[in-house]
Amino acid sequence: MSRFDAIVIGGGVNGLVAAAVLGRRGKSVCLIERSGRLGGMAGAEGAYPRMAHLLHNLGPLVRRDIGLGPGDWPFRTVALPTVALAPGGGHVRIDGAEARFADGRPHPDAEAYRALVTRLRDYGALLRRLAEAPPPGGEAAWADPAALKQVLRLGGFGRALRQMGRAEMRTFLKVLLSNAHDLILDEMPDGPLAGALAADAVRGLALGPRSPGTVFSLIYRHGHGGTVSLPVGGMAAVIAALAGAAEAAAVTIRTGTAAARLLCEGDRAIGVETDTGEVVMARRVLSSTSPLAAARMAGLDRFDIEATRRMRLVRARGTVAKINLHLSALPRIDGLPDDLLGARLLLAPSAEAVETAFNPAKYGRMSDDPILEALLPGVTDPAQTGDGGPALSIIAHYAPSDLAGGWTDAARDRLLRAVLARLATVAPDLPGLVARSEVLCPGRIEAETGAPGGHWHHADLSLDQLLSVRPANGLGHYAMGLKGLYLCGASTHPGGDVMGLAGRNAALAALEDGP
Amino acid sequence: MSVVTDPKTGLIDGPVHDRLAALSRARGWYGWAGYAAPSVLDTVEFEYFALRNQCALLDISPMHKYRLTGPDATAVLNRLVTRDVTRIRPGRVGYAVWCDEEGMVIDDGTLFRLGAQDWRLCCQEPMLTWLIEAAWGFDAEVRDDSETLAGLALQGPTAFAVLEAAGWDVATLRPFDHADLGEVMISRTGFTGDLGYEIWMPWAEAPAVWDRLWQAGANHGLRAIGYEAVNIARIEAGFLTAGVDFQPVHATERLHRGKTPFELGLGRMVDMAKGHFNGRRALAGARPRSLLMRVDVEGFKPAQNALVYHRRRREVGHVTSGVWSPTAKRNIALAHVALPWAARTPPDLWAEIYTLEEGRWETRMARLTPVEGAFFAPPRARATPPART
Repeated sequence: MSRFDAIVIGGGVNGLVAAAVLGRRGKSVCLIERSGRLGGMAGAEGAYPRMAHLLHNLGPLVRRDIGLGPGDWPFRTVALPTVALAPGGGHVRIDGAEARFADGRPHPDAEAYRALVTRLRDYGALLRRLAEAPPPGGEAAWADPAALKQVLRLGGFGRALRQMGRAEMRTFLKVLLSNAHDLILDEMPDGPLAGALAADAVRGLALGPRSPGTVFSLIYRHGHGGTVSLPVGGMAAVIAALAGAAEAAAVTIRTGTAAARLLCEGDRAIGVETDTGEVVMARRVLSSTSPLAAARMAGLDRFDIEATRRMRLVRARGTVAKINLHLSALPRIDGLPDDLLGARLLLAPSAEAVETAFNPAKYGRMSDDPILEALLPGVTDPAQTGDGGPALSIIAHYAPSDLAGGWTDAARDRLLRAVLARLATVAPDLPGLVARSEVLCPGRIEAETGAPGGHWHHADLSLDQLLSVRPANGLGHYAMGLKGLYLCGASTHPGGDVMGLAGRNAALAALEDGP
Repeated sequence: MSVVTDPKTGLIDGPVHDRLAALSRARGWYGWAGYAAPSVLDTVEFEYFALRNQCALLDISPMHKYRLTGPDATAVLNRLVTRDVTRIRPGRVGYAVWCDEEGMVIDDGTLFRLGAQDWRLCCQEPMLTWLIEAAWGFDAEVRDDSETLAGLALQGPTAFAVLEAAGWDVATLRPFDHADLGEVMISRTGFTGDLGYEIWMPWAEAPAVWDRLWQAGANHGLRAIGYEAVNIARIEAGFLTAGVDFQPVHATERLHRGKTPFELGLGRMVDMAKGHFNGRRALAGARPRSLLMRVDVEGFKPAQNALVYHRRRREVGHVTSGVWSPTAKRNIALAHVALPWAARTPPDLWAEIYTLEEGRWETRMARLTPVEGAFFAPPRARATPPART
């Protein structure tokens, strides 16, 4: 038996961050990870990406709290342009708020695009006040310092909202809960540029651009400026930095060790029994699993019936398959200058096409014309080229976790064929270059990482699962009812995305609980 | 599924409706969980005195009845209710209440332990979806027996003699025991606080059992009764009726209409030491806001629905059930009274009673005197073997 101040279950991004934050505050921490490697969905065996492949929202707040200082991350990042590929030519290059044709010609909707993205960024800056802190509400009495802080923060949010000006504030409140499709097509005609925005609005979610709440997720995407960057050295470098921070904070990291069950005494979690029967005691247990998995470890009878019902009904339907191809040579994309081959390549010909691709997913079928985000990381960072040939990393929408008939070999082949057919619309020679392929369906992602439904946010970022009701009412403050047990995974506020804020907030919440 | 009153179909006939309809001189029917149940068959006075002095037969089939089985059935129930059900041995029946996550009472009922992992729950409110929810993730099966299991309540001092005459020997049954007699299952339970039994059988067999009891009761003063007589008896016994003395919290639409078991005077039913149960965390931190009191009302006018005042001035509660008790010869009531006034000694509580007599309304304040325990609890209710008269 060993004894720590805190145990963190799961060595993904949030688990590592939670452990490092606790360690930095002087707590002895034991982090246990079921698999043999750290990183969860961001982890990789080789230098090239396996699941997550880019950074969207990794912010300085987390870096500060895990002790990596005010400067920069210990790995270099390269901001990548995005290219909205258009079958038949006319690819659009996007750098932040600037859009133009890939061949350098000005794009007719560039001005509209800039205005829209600037607006989204302003909204994002506003919402970040809510995203970075724990969600509002909770049990604290009004006179309590924590509650006062919360009131001030909410007050600040209200003030910032008013400072937008009356007209802009009204627009913000009007569009916030609406759908991305209407917001985008109010500003520009449908096409690859609109398609790129629509695809980003639904990335990772079981939503289509016409689903309510997708404006919120689009803002979330642009929350930190909307830049997309490639970590040099791959996700492995990111995870090494987080693990390094945890180790520097004296966190004991044990991979290949799974939590079998939670040990409780009275109404409090007091430790973990591992799959090998070893007992680790701690005053706090933080679990980056889904809430239901955490509850099952403690025993469902330790939770109220309403609570288990809410945990059960958290919507975490994965819709994304990850496809990793190894090519015999770099592909040639019609009409794309060579210097853009390393960009984030989007295959979402229009907002309408994204919605159409979503339709079958509603009924448990995969998209025939999938929406793709493709990346050739080796073009930018040679270390990520891959063994034997260029690695092509693809995020494919929609591949629902509850596929009718299940994710059989035939189903995976069918998805691969659909993806290759989609790629062939802009790179006809690409299917012939495939030397090796791997299709990670949501079920596989779940099996490898424990993410419920293979969903990369562990719970859909929909309006009823946000802020103080994320992942569900009564679970919004990282606590679960059973004292000493906390949720620190992507299912909690503010969600996943290789961001670490959920883990950081959970650690801070756990620190408020006594010595 | 549970029975719901469908206004298009009207009330449904219960298993012994033919027998009841033939006896119904008053033709007073009311809807009980969708079934046509007699509020009174003859006159409430005859029926009440038959219940207290002879024996009364009442169809209780509209109760909701659920069966829980499987390796985790006991664990599910212990999670559901506030008391420790492991203390209810097979062959025993236990009264229980269950709460939502905020500690507010959802309903109360009786738990029959039929085997180590085999239980029956009888209650007033439809509970199927809640039980399924409670059992989710556990190895236990929930079955709704509401429409397949019939129940007849045989209550009163000659109840044992009637069963004996009917050929069913229940001499050894102590209060809250139950026994399987082959054709029927009999429990020594009831809602009257008197000697009494409940006889359980498949729905289709209820008429034959009714007839057998009816014949057996011919020389024991057996009378079929309706709810009004039972209601007087249950107030005398101090029993609560869901929807009257407390609002089942799942059926409320307004906030804060629920009550905790402590507020209903059922604190003894809450075992905070048994481990987690639904609502435990809320109950651990909850301070009672009011108390359900048993009170003796000055005068003889029933205080039903009267507002309760402290020092005749401050409104502090209301009477939920009030009746003249013919047996206790007292004017009795159950009343919700807000704290701290409910706990003041001496209490200075008054009910404002309105009476309408031949076109004239009168109001008067009647002093309330708290009473401990039941208003009427005859020793015959607990004697084993029971008396025959």
